[in-house]
Amino acid sequence: MNDIGQKIRETARQLLQEGQVDCVIGYEASPRGGVRPAFIYDAGEAERLVWSTRAVHNLATYLHDKKKPARRGEAPPRVAVVVKPCDSRTINVLLAEGQIERERTTVIGVTCDGMVDESGAPLPRCVHCAERTPVVYDVLIGSPPDVDVAADDDADLAHVEALPPTERLAFWLHEFDRCIRCYACRQVCPGCYCTTCMFERDDGLWVDAGVEMPGKYIFHLGRALHLAGRCVGCDECERVCPMGLPLRLLNRRLAREVETLYGYRAGREETLAPLLFELGEEGSPI
Amino acid sequence: MKFVTQDALRVWLDQLAQEVDLVAPRDVEGHVLYRPVASSAGVLFEYQRPEMSAKDYLFPATEVLLQIEQRGKEMTLEEIVPERKQVLFGLRPCDAHGAAVIDALFLQQEPVDAAYRRQRERTTMVGLACPRMWEGCFCTSVGGAPDAADHLDLLLREVDGGYAVQVVTEKGAALLAGLELQEKKGEPPPSQADGEIVPVAPPQAWRTLFEDEMWQRHGERCLSCRICTYVCPACRCFDVVDRVTSVQPGLTCSERIRVWDACTSTNYRRAAGGHNSRPTKPGRIRNRFFCKFCYYPEDFGPLGCVGCGRCIVSCPVDIDITEVMRGVAERSDG
Repeated sequence: MNDIGQKIRETARQLLQEGQVDCVIGYEASPRGGVRPAFIYDAGEAERLVWSTRAVHNLATYLHDKKKPARRGEAPPRVAVVVKPCDSRTINVLLAEGQIERERTTVIGVTCDGMVDESGAPLPRCVHCAERTPVVYDVLIGSPPDVDVAADDDADLAHVEALPPTERLAFWLHEFDRCIRCYACRQVCPGCYCTTCMFERDDGLWVDAGVEMPGKYIFHLGRALHLAGRCVGCDECERVCPMGLPLRLLNRRLAREVETLYGYRAGREETLAPLLFELGEEGSPI
Repeated sequence: MKFVTQDALRVWLDQLAQEVDLVAPRDVEGHVLYRPVASSAGVLFEYQRPEMSAKDYLFPATEVLLQIEQRGKEMTLEEIVPERKQVLFGLRPCDAHGAAVIDALFLQQEPVDAAYRRQRERTTMVGLACPRMWEGCFCTSVGGAPDAADHLDLLLREVDGGYAVQVVTEKGAALLAGLELQEKKGEPPPSQADGEIVPVAPPQAWRTLFEDEMWQRHGERCLSCRICTYVCPACRCFDVVDRVTSVQPGLTCSERIRVWDACTSTNYRRAAGGHNSRPTKPGRIRNRFFCKFCYYPEDFGPLGCVGCGRCIVSCPVDIDITEVMRGVAERSDG
């Protein structure tokens, strides 16, 4: 673990010293324990970077902030970003959707033993994760751990799906009722990058601004559908939700649908086009 | 001291629930939240700090201000006025402190906010002292205390076998009918005010640091979500929008609603024509903290922060208001 931190610091220092990148996005120690995102612009500051089993954040979401140049007329910054295997799938999705440029992005991939929450318990997605090495990287740090992967039995999802429709509706309405429309799920999501979210238009064309039903569930169902075939399952939306909405359930359900119907898994390969493009290709295998 | 047993307190709450809109802390799927209750069943008496403040019941996240009916060229407007009394039970002192902060803007300067005044007038606030301070709490640094009675109408403190009752205002006294009070010797012990002590730099010190690099450092992590402002007992920005509720031949019904807004969100300062005068995250984060410790105290009197610590524990990327306060105090010293 400390070895990985040391290698991240060395890599960051070298990339910045040699002028290969303008910024390294990694993790630093948080004053109240755990780690938090850090932005390093100077090789001398690379010492701040750490690695930890609390490195839960998907830092690829910050690449959207780096798409524009700092000053008009300049080129956009070249950025290195530390990614776990799940985060690395985001890189592929953003490449496929033309959001980032491969040559301006240095991917520091880190193999992953799985992350834990504040209490030290493994995160649900990590328990079932079979992908321990990033799917795309320029620098790979660590070696794939030998871990037992729990079978992805989707028991929680199966339970909800088995409910009769009226009870299933009641379940979701009960969950969405807690939503405060803080939009943290959307803001943290690397796949949510519309300049104007359709659920936050000034004219309230689709959903008005009230923190009420039905707006709350239309927002969540709409968002989930917009991410179908694009969500990489980093679960950041569920982590950041202050009301603990089970958003993982929705996203997994849609990801399974896409995989079953089209054999497509978002971000799996660097060369994968967006699902809708793949479907449109003549002779497409899917 | 005035004393009430837990059983007597429950009888009183059951009675209140019949007469008024009663709001109390509840466990909602593992989250402690202030929620309307129909009786004392399910009301929490032992809890830390509810995850959201109680401001939703004085300054609702969504509040219908007007109902509008349009028939051809004729239009009628009806103001929505809540009629029932409301009792907020089990408020933590920081929540009442937050209401006092909001009062400074909405009630103590002209023009008075009519909708807020109505909510405030119909509401009696019954506090339950925190026995100690919780993770992230720093109320004692910003003029509060875990057992502060200020800004409440009644304050309860847990003692052996029940609660000590302190009557703070006449509104509080008027609520006591039906509460079986006893006189007991002695006074309740003070709460453990052992939380963090955070320096509060004066507004002029903040002004010298407007261009400091720290805003970039803290702001760059920000997700531009609204959690910090929505959990805050003192944040009070809002937007007003109209929505059509039904359309029939010859009759269009609409509502004018007021909804919470957040200075951390991307489009908070977008104006007609599309210009956004606060387009960056560091700029927005800076504004939030300047509002609390510089602009609001200068313009309206009180600090815009009551030290509840909710924004600290709920920020997904660990933006910590006390780290900012310490940073300002340290930098402005030199």
